[in-house]
Amino acid sequence: MNPGRMMRTGTPPESKAGAATRLSREWTVAGVLALLLAVMAFTAPGFFEPQPLLSRLTAAAPRLVVTCGIVLVMLCRQIDISVGSLFAVCAVTTGLMVSAHVPLPLAALASVLLGALGGAVNGLLVAGLRLPSIVVTLATMVTWREMLRLGQQGVFVNLPDGVQWFGLPMVRGQWVVCGAALAVLSGLALGLRFLSVGRFVYAVGSDAEAARLAGLHPRFTTFATFVVLGGLTGMAAVLNLVQSPQVDPASGRLLELEAIAAAVVGGVAVSGWRGSLWGVLAGFLLLTCISPALTYLGVKPYWDKAIQGGIILLAVIVDGFNRRKGNR
Amino acid sequence: MKEPRALSSSRAPVGSGSARRPAFIALGRHEAILLCVVVLEVMFFTLAGRNFLTPDNLANLVRHSVEIGMLALVMLPVILTGGIDLSVGSLLGLCAVVFGKLWRDAGLPWELAAADTLVLGALAGGFNATLIAGLRLPPLIVTLGTYSLFRGLAEALTRGTDAFTGFPESFLFLGMGRWGGLPVQAWIFTGVAIVVAILVHRTTWGRSWRAIGFSPEGARHAGLPVAWRTASAYVLVGVVAALASLTWSARLGTAKADAGTGYELAAITAVVLGGTSIFGGVGSVAGTLLGVVAIAVLTNGLGRVPATLSLSGELSGLFTGVVLILALAGGAVARWWTELRAWRRNRG
Repeated sequence: MNPGRMMRTGTPPESKAGAATRLSREWTVAGVLALLLAVMAFTAPGFFEPQPLLSRLTAAAPRLVVTCGIVLVMLCRQIDISVGSLFAVCAVTTGLMVSAHVPLPLAALASVLLGALGGAVNGLLVAGLRLPSIVVTLATMVTWREMLRLGQQGVFVNLPDGVQWFGLPMVRGQWVVCGAALAVLSGLALGLRFLSVGRFVYAVGSDAEAARLAGLHPRFTTFATFVVLGGLTGMAAVLNLVQSPQVDPASGRLLELEAIAAAVVGGVAVSGWRGSLWGVLAGFLLLTCISPALTYLGVKPYWDKAIQGGIILLAVIVDGFNRRKGNR
Repeated sequence: MKEPRALSSSRAPVGSGSARRPAFIALGRHEAILLCVVVLEVMFFTLAGRNFLTPDNLANLVRHSVEIGMLALVMLPVILTGGIDLSVGSLLGLCAVVFGKLWRDAGLPWELAAADTLVLGALAGGFNATLIAGLRLPPLIVTLGTYSLFRGLAEALTRGTDAFTGFPESFLFLGMGRWGGLPVQAWIFTGVAIVVAILVHRTTWGRSWRAIGFSPEGARHAGLPVAWRTASAYVLVGVVAALASLTWSARLGTAKADAGTGYELAAITAVVLGGTSIFGGVGSVAGTLLGVVAIAVLTNGLGRVPATLSLSGELSGLFTGVVLILALAGGAVARWWTELRAWRRNRG
């Protein structure tokens, strides 16, 4: 079919049956999503009114961008829980720049570079010093967040006119935000599948030592995924910034957990090298749609978090059973 | 099949560099450094701060840090097995809410409600354990799910806003009273610390946690019931998280759904700062206690120095993060150095 499929089935510890369940995993999530939407179509057609739907998707778009980045890192068998804090740092910095009359494109570029820099710190510590990513990013998560609190003292940043929706009318601005997020997703998905650097990510996540012997540079690849994630976090901060007239310095809390949850539900394994961004899109949409959908069906919003947790657990349990079947 | 491990990235060469040297010497070095840090902190805050080394302030320090301390102590066995538990803070919140509901809405006496809460903690820990040890799912993702689930249930039970107050004096004594001159929760904490220390360092049960973390396959071949022993670590976390929810509620005189937010990360930070390897197999109770004390003294002390009084929360968080990075980087450099020396010796 394509090199990606071959590479995945060709790796010894997983059998062919395992590959079949993996393939179907993405379709399962897509099926559940379709089912949910079908139920909504019959019971609460109001859910599909274009404007509220577009607004909801726009609000979630920055999260999709971060999720794409975190998938890269997870494919390399690493994890990054500092993205939420980095997101807030980028958002506040960009907000301050914009309110100091720096043109928005320049400020956006600065945000991406700042994010990439934050990602590079994680990458250096993880790939350079070979430290465990969960602890490194735990430390940077606390550090960025507290630096921001120290510098900003919880003060909101007011944005000047003309920044919201890039100065466009609202609906067109919403389309731009959603389009940018989808462009990132498609670009990365195609890159992961068809570019050799994309295949490096899978190779390193599958077996770093084998990748090294094959002439790749696992440590540099790992470092690069952290930098890309950082850059995408900076971009997500800009996409979030243009949606409101103020920047909340406490924004981005729990962003890392939501991104990891979307990735896991979409079929990315924490043990690396497994999963595709299309599955992640389905998982992301499922998690994004479920709470408003349930609200339409009369479930009280304070059940949100419990249901999100339940979905993550369900996804990982299904995965566990599939893997067991595959191994037998 | 992958071993049950938080992250199955390639194992850091924990034992390889210092293979010829008994592990406790390397550990002792880390703990000694940490002890120096604590002593320096205490000296600094005694000189620079106001009323730092007074009985009242020390009691205050203890009261505010026992919950995170208890969670860190039981997080140690979990991390020793190579796992992680992100759900402890949320479980604390859920237990606090259930305790409040049992006491106020079900009309149980608080002692019975507290006992039920401990059972609930054990059940919730058992749920994590079933998924992690029974179904062999990755601990990071399972507890990420229960992190959301437990907090979500707590919010759903209280409809997001309800809080329980007006607890009887005898219950509040747990969090506000003194016994033998010390805050009551200091005794509870000491009890937990002694139990965990004996378990981890003096029983075959606890030693097997270390063995599992060091090499799950090896432990299995040595005939250890890996699943049961791993599961027991998570159940222990559940029970102690429930206990911590009781002291939390008694200290603040209220039980709410947001109890213990962020405690999981504080507990993990203390454990890792105490020299425990996140890959499992290496760590000690003494190191964890020192990690807890180092963070607690820093947080409290910064609030006692006039210059940092208003920023104590932010600064202590920032320092904790930076110190954690430095401790990790320092450990990595020390490991390199040991490896380099071993390599030179082997060559020459």
